[in-house]
Amino acid sequence: MPSSGKLAEILTKHSFEVEEVKRVGKDWVLDIDVLPNRACDCFSHIGIAREVAVLTSSKFQIPNSKLKENKNLKAKDFVGVEIKNKEDCSRYTAKVVLGVKVKSSPKWIQERLKACGLQPINNIVDITNYVMLETGQPIHAFDFDKIKSENSKFQKKKIIVRRAKKGEKIAALDDKTYTLDEDILVIADAREPIAIAGIKGGESTGIDSETKNIVIEAANFNPRVIRKTSRKLKLRTDASWRFENGVDPNLIDFTQKRVCSLIQEIAGGKVAQGMVDFYPKKVRPKKIKLDLKYVERLLGVRIPKEKIIKILKNLGFKVARQSIKPSTHHLLIEVPTRRLDISIQEDLIEEIGRIAGFQNIPSIFPQASLIPPERNEEIFWQRNCQDILKEQGFTEVYNYSFIGEKEKEIFGWQDTEVLELANPISSFNKYLRPSLIPNLLRDVKENLKFFDEIKIFEIGKIFRKCQMSNVKCQILEKKMLGGVLTGKRIGDEGFYELKGIVDLLLNKLGISNVWYDDYQQTPEESHLEIWHPRKSAEIKTDGQELGFLGEIHPKILEELEIVEKVFVFDFNFEKLKKLASEEHEYQPISIHPAAVRDLAVLVPLRTKTVEVLNVINAAGGKLVRDVDLFDVYSGEGIPEGKENLAFHIIYQAEDRTLTSKEIDEVHQRIIKALEENPEWEVRK
Amino acid sequence: MNLKEIKIKAKNEIVKARSLKELNEIYKKYLGKKREITRIFSSLKKLSEGERKKLGKEANLVKREVEEMIKEKSKQLQEKLRKQKIEKEKIDVTRPGKKLEVGHLHPLTHVQREVLEIFQSMGFSVVLGPELETEWYNFDALNIPKDHPARDMWDTFWLQPESQMSNVKSQKFLLRTHTSPVQIRYMEKHNPPLRIVVPGRCFRHEATDASHEIQFYQLEGLMVDENVSAANFRAVIEEFLRRFFKTPIEIRLRPSYFPFTEPSFEVDVRREKEKWIEMMGAGMVHPKVFEAAGLNPKEWQGFAFGVGLDRLAMLRYKINDIRLFYSGDLRFLNQF
Repeated sequence: MPSSGKLAEILTKHSFEVEEVKRVGKDWVLDIDVLPNRACDCFSHIGIAREVAVLTSSKFQIPNSKLKENKNLKAKDFVGVEIKNKEDCSRYTAKVVLGVKVKSSPKWIQERLKACGLQPINNIVDITNYVMLETGQPIHAFDFDKIKSENSKFQKKKIIVRRAKKGEKIAALDDKTYTLDEDILVIADAREPIAIAGIKGGESTGIDSETKNIVIEAANFNPRVIRKTSRKLKLRTDASWRFENGVDPNLIDFTQKRVCSLIQEIAGGKVAQGMVDFYPKKVRPKKIKLDLKYVERLLGVRIPKEKIIKILKNLGFKVARQSIKPSTHHLLIEVPTRRLDISIQEDLIEEIGRIAGFQNIPSIFPQASLIPPERNEEIFWQRNCQDILKEQGFTEVYNYSFIGEKEKEIFGWQDTEVLELANPISSFNKYLRPSLIPNLLRDVKENLKFFDEIKIFEIGKIFRKCQMSNVKCQILEKKMLGGVLTGKRIGDEGFYELKGIVDLLLNKLGISNVWYDDYQQTPEESHLEIWHPRKSAEIKTDGQELGFLGEIHPKILEELEIVEKVFVFDFNFEKLKKLASEEHEYQPISIHPAAVRDLAVLVPLRTKTVEVLNVINAAGGKLVRDVDLFDVYSGEGIPEGKENLAFHIIYQAEDRTLTSKEIDEVHQRIIKALEENPEWEVRK
Repeated sequence: MNLKEIKIKAKNEIVKARSLKELNEIYKKYLGKKREITRIFSSLKKLSEGERKKLGKEANLVKREVEEMIKEKSKQLQEKLRKQKIEKEKIDVTRPGKKLEVGHLHPLTHVQREVLEIFQSMGFSVVLGPELETEWYNFDALNIPKDHPARDMWDTFWLQPESQMSNVKSQKFLLRTHTSPVQIRYMEKHNPPLRIVVPGRCFRHEATDASHEIQFYQLEGLMVDENVSAANFRAVIEEFLRRFFKTPIEIRLRPSYFPFTEPSFEVDVRREKEKWIEMMGAGMVHPKVFEAAGLNPKEWQGFAFGVGLDRLAMLRYKINDIRLFYSGDLRFLNQF
């Protein structure tokens, strides 16, 4: 036997990860992470011993159990068994031992149980636990005399394996009482449940210091039923854990012999002959055809046929036939029933590979056709947006995909709009986020403690439930691009600063014909108050709505206790992606100089700049290169109810230098056009 | 005074001049109106032609010499002034530079870009999938049946049942626990040969601590063809890890278990002189997965792997707390 450290290494390399090696007295304890697929044979010391034997090329020897049965006592005279549904229980066995002396177990059993985290109780219970750890087959012992029969006269006891009736109760060995129902499988006597099958025994038939006669149960239960019950009752035991993963019914024969032999040796008593055995459908070993060429193809390395056969034989597999027609590279393998995890060729290949050592798999580059991958459009445009915003000084954040009860209330989303988790960690992540904004605002609040100015953005998914008039509700998952600008320096004018950034973003994405419309809430959205209704815009192009830009509603800022005004843009990223284009046309630089003329217009307050701009551009035509609003003034010197818009108009032609006369003409034309509006006055 | 005397006197004064102003005074004194040298020119009319010529010539010479000297001196003085000015302008180079406000990409973005680039250069296409998945794609199609202990390997966030009205008949919805469902989604619509990587956000119902979060990023890899083997996987993943860590590395494959791969591996990595670290799970695609995707397992074989991008980022930047990635804390994010 190699040292414990070396053993841990070998097991990790070829079988399971050994997480810890601990010294306990003169002994060593290995904490082995056996994964679900090998629970069937390796949630047991014998299973691990077999593995170690294969890996160290040692001989595996199953523990010897000499059992002396009493020919005058027959188990079937004492106990009868009835299984109501064989789907629930594929095998049930009972052996009987009479005249035992219950006391503490010998030291060696107690020590081993403790090393494995189990508490010693008494010799009978301890032996059943010991053998379970040894073989992987759970065992339960009942006090024979406490099992109730139909009438009190000494009679053969009947054990029934059935579903519980709704409302039936059982006081279990853990001092708790469980209420049962028809989903739960129980072991019952004539009167009541005496055990929750495969999980926990009942108090009424528990082994105590007075017990003289016992029934040893070793059975096999349906993993699904055990798992369901275990979750329902929130009761997880060493037994239930093994049954959930599936146990080989054929383990029972050796196990029963072993238990009874130990009981006889340690607690005395007479073992009745025979075993009550309900086993309608005996599980037989599987046969799998193994293609040796496939072994090589899948692993990428050739393992010689003799080595493969040796590995499989060492693991306890039988090579039923060394070659099957039509070729010599097929083997027929018989799989021992304890290996519930082996059912297809690939399972065998894993066995061969791991025992031979995965380290022997070489590094060979695949041969594949040289077709370059297609560009992923979403990733491409996402990258662009990220880079453009980063250039503008924005920092990217990744927030949680959830919001809590609090945010839902503050923002006003209704139950019909948000998707709720069935099992949130807490009320903090009860819902899937229907917008990026709540968490972005949370970021703002936290960061304002340390920074005067905050420019952040996020690209991420949001989730909504949407009610479409007569169509059934749909679950929506949408990728959004959201950004925030706020801070002392920004103050109240953040809208225009953010608008400049948005213009730049859309421009660089190649999206043109964008215009900003006043934010108008639809009736369906009237319960939400996210945007400041007078300081927000809908961003549109070609009849589509791309997103929003605006100031966050003061009510929300108040609730969230954010002192600065916060400006946000929120885009439907999928729409951006569809409209984005890489086309850029070079604009020739004119060699002819430009001339600037200023123009001031007095307009009523609340006039939209875009209207004035439209008139100027329409009247000015081609010769107007650019119109720049540089001042908006109202107050002293300006009549009440009006404001003064001041523009730089830049005149330039591509093909000639404009004369003063030409410029004057256009300029007059513009003035005339503006003054056609009776409310507007061009200031001279 | 004769020219010689004027010249010497002027020269002396010029040499002694200490400022441009003084020099200007000297200029005016000798070459200004009605002054020394100019006077000599005016006096020329009194002389005979021969003498006029002679004196005129001399005077011009002196004039030019004085002008030259003044010019030279002027240059020197200017040079001196300039040097003085330069000296005065000395700055403290150790003072902190002006801070520029720049933007930052999230560290996970940096890592994802790098990882994708490595795989794209090996011919892998990038594919994306939904974060909100159906139970079928996330579990059943991947050979993880209901009521099976294997499901315990993934703690799942389930959507409230009433929340679902169906786009699809009676499906349970959840937040995907891994990016593996996209293997099925992709293979349903594309025939092999194929090689893809799938980056994406995943979710686990877990208690959060320095190494566990309820959301994280995973990268799935899948390569399928007629003869793709575990040896191919080894080569591809060694290449990826070598390029990502930018240093020679060793890997080891040891047995593991995933319902959707058989054989299954755990891949550990070791950088020079360091300890082995657990890197990712992987394996050969299970025949049941091919079947679920509508492919014939007898015709195709492939490998699949899943690596945590958060983990890679934590190794790369030596970050010790995964929760920092989702904290939105600019003191952290502005470092990248």
